[in-house]
Amino acid sequence: MSYLEIPLPRLVVTLGLVALAILASRWKRLDLERDLAWGALRGAVQLLAIGHVLLLLFKHERPEWVALAISGMLGVAAATSARRVEHGPSARTLFPYALLAIVLGSVVALAPVFIFVVPLHPMYEARYLVPISGMMIASAMNVVAQVFERIFAAAHAHAGEIEQLLALGATPEQALARHVRASVRAAMIPTINSLLTVGLVALPGMMTGQIVSGTAPEQAVRYQIVILYQLVAVAAVSGVLAGEFGRRLLFTPHAQLRLPKRAPASDMRA
Amino acid sequence: MPSALEARDIRVIREGRTLVDGASLVVSYGEKVAIAGPSGSGKSTFLRAMATLIPIDSGHVLLDGVDAIALPPTRFRTRIAYLPQAPPMLPGTVADNVAAGPALRGETLAPERQIELLRAVGLDEAFLTRGANELSGGERQRVALARALANEPKVLLLDEPTAALDPETALQVIELVRSMATAGRGVVMVTHIAAHAEALSGRRYVFQAGKLVAVAEGP
Repeated sequence: MSYLEIPLPRLVVTLGLVALAILASRWKRLDLERDLAWGALRGAVQLLAIGHVLLLLFKHERPEWVALAISGMLGVAAATSARRVEHGPSARTLFPYALLAIVLGSVVALAPVFIFVVPLHPMYEARYLVPISGMMIASAMNVVAQVFERIFAAAHAHAGEIEQLLALGATPEQALARHVRASVRAAMIPTINSLLTVGLVALPGMMTGQIVSGTAPEQAVRYQIVILYQLVAVAAVSGVLAGEFGRRLLFTPHAQLRLPKRAPASDMRA
Repeated sequence: MPSALEARDIRVIREGRTLVDGASLVVSYGEKVAIAGPSGSGKSTFLRAMATLIPIDSGHVLLDGVDAIALPPTRFRTRIAYLPQAPPMLPGTVADNVAAGPALRGETLAPERQIELLRAVGLDEAFLTRGANELSGGERQRVALARALANEPKVLLLDEPTAALDPETALQVIELVRSMATAGRGVVMVTHIAAHAEALSGRRYVFQAGKLVAVAEGP
């Protein structure tokens, strides 16, 4: 492979860029100095750590290690998307649903590609499986978090309307349909936008990386197309599932609206 | 008179507070019932429990003698019309709102029937094309009633239908509610205004300490 290596001292020099941002923050009183410093440090440590983990993984490529790495990614992604959902149920309640939505979305996007488009030998080849799974899982995480955030906020804001629809004989699906649709659409739009602007504004990260490390551009482009289509599938499957799970969490088996937490529930009104 | 809707020993507990404590009520076809009581006494919670819109901790709601638990919620709720205080309008026109109930079942409500329903609540067909969210409080209350009537319910559960209205409009709405009972429907109206409870001229209750206490047997 022909690419320019980055020695550690030169890597440290790039901290100057973060220092620049910190100076700007201090100058304009943005109050972001701590966040910037902490973010720069944490990001670097996480990436250096994952660099070593990947190195180990490539050296001792065993299916159980690869599975463990991917499971870890899934766990962190699910916990992140289940956390701090305003007006939503507790992170503990949401976690299994988030995990299922992320797993199914990722599997649907990954399995056909690794079987038919980029067949791996062996099936657990970490060099492909780990980074590409990571991209899918991260995208699923964002979509699921957005759908949860929006669907519970909408149920909270439109509780009266939803309940009135139930009172008119609507099923929970009907009563929430407008809000589920809006939530899933909103979560999918960034992925669709990236399809529309890709190559015009920025070259996507994976393609850039492949080109820098010496892959022929036309092959890098093909990989990127596959990735983009996978991301669309992830957004659709994980988004729709998160919408479905959110709805289930919002109604009792007797089709009664069940707003999580101690929101100023309208049934407290007398 | 045969009983249309019955609440039997309803208990609702929320966050350790007993809001409804073994309240029972029987409404027959053609009968009017008013439930008065101060704000926060639990009367609205009781009404919502009768509409099966909130989980109850014990007790039963029976429609024509059949436990609501045994009926599909969509079927129970098309027989029972529940109007909250200041009923929210659905997006769209008054026509969209009036036709909403049948539309949920995939049915279209004929324009003639829409006009008929609007007239029954004291509005005219000019309202059909108006945006539902531009209406005044009294008009919304009437449109919500027309919307509920489109399902041809047997019982009406009305939560403070007069609270947001000026005195004159309030009396008109009560007159309207009385006419619903004359047409053979059971009517339960919750109100914190004693004069409005009286004006309904049916059976009267006061909600006290989570229970219904009879005040007047009605005419």
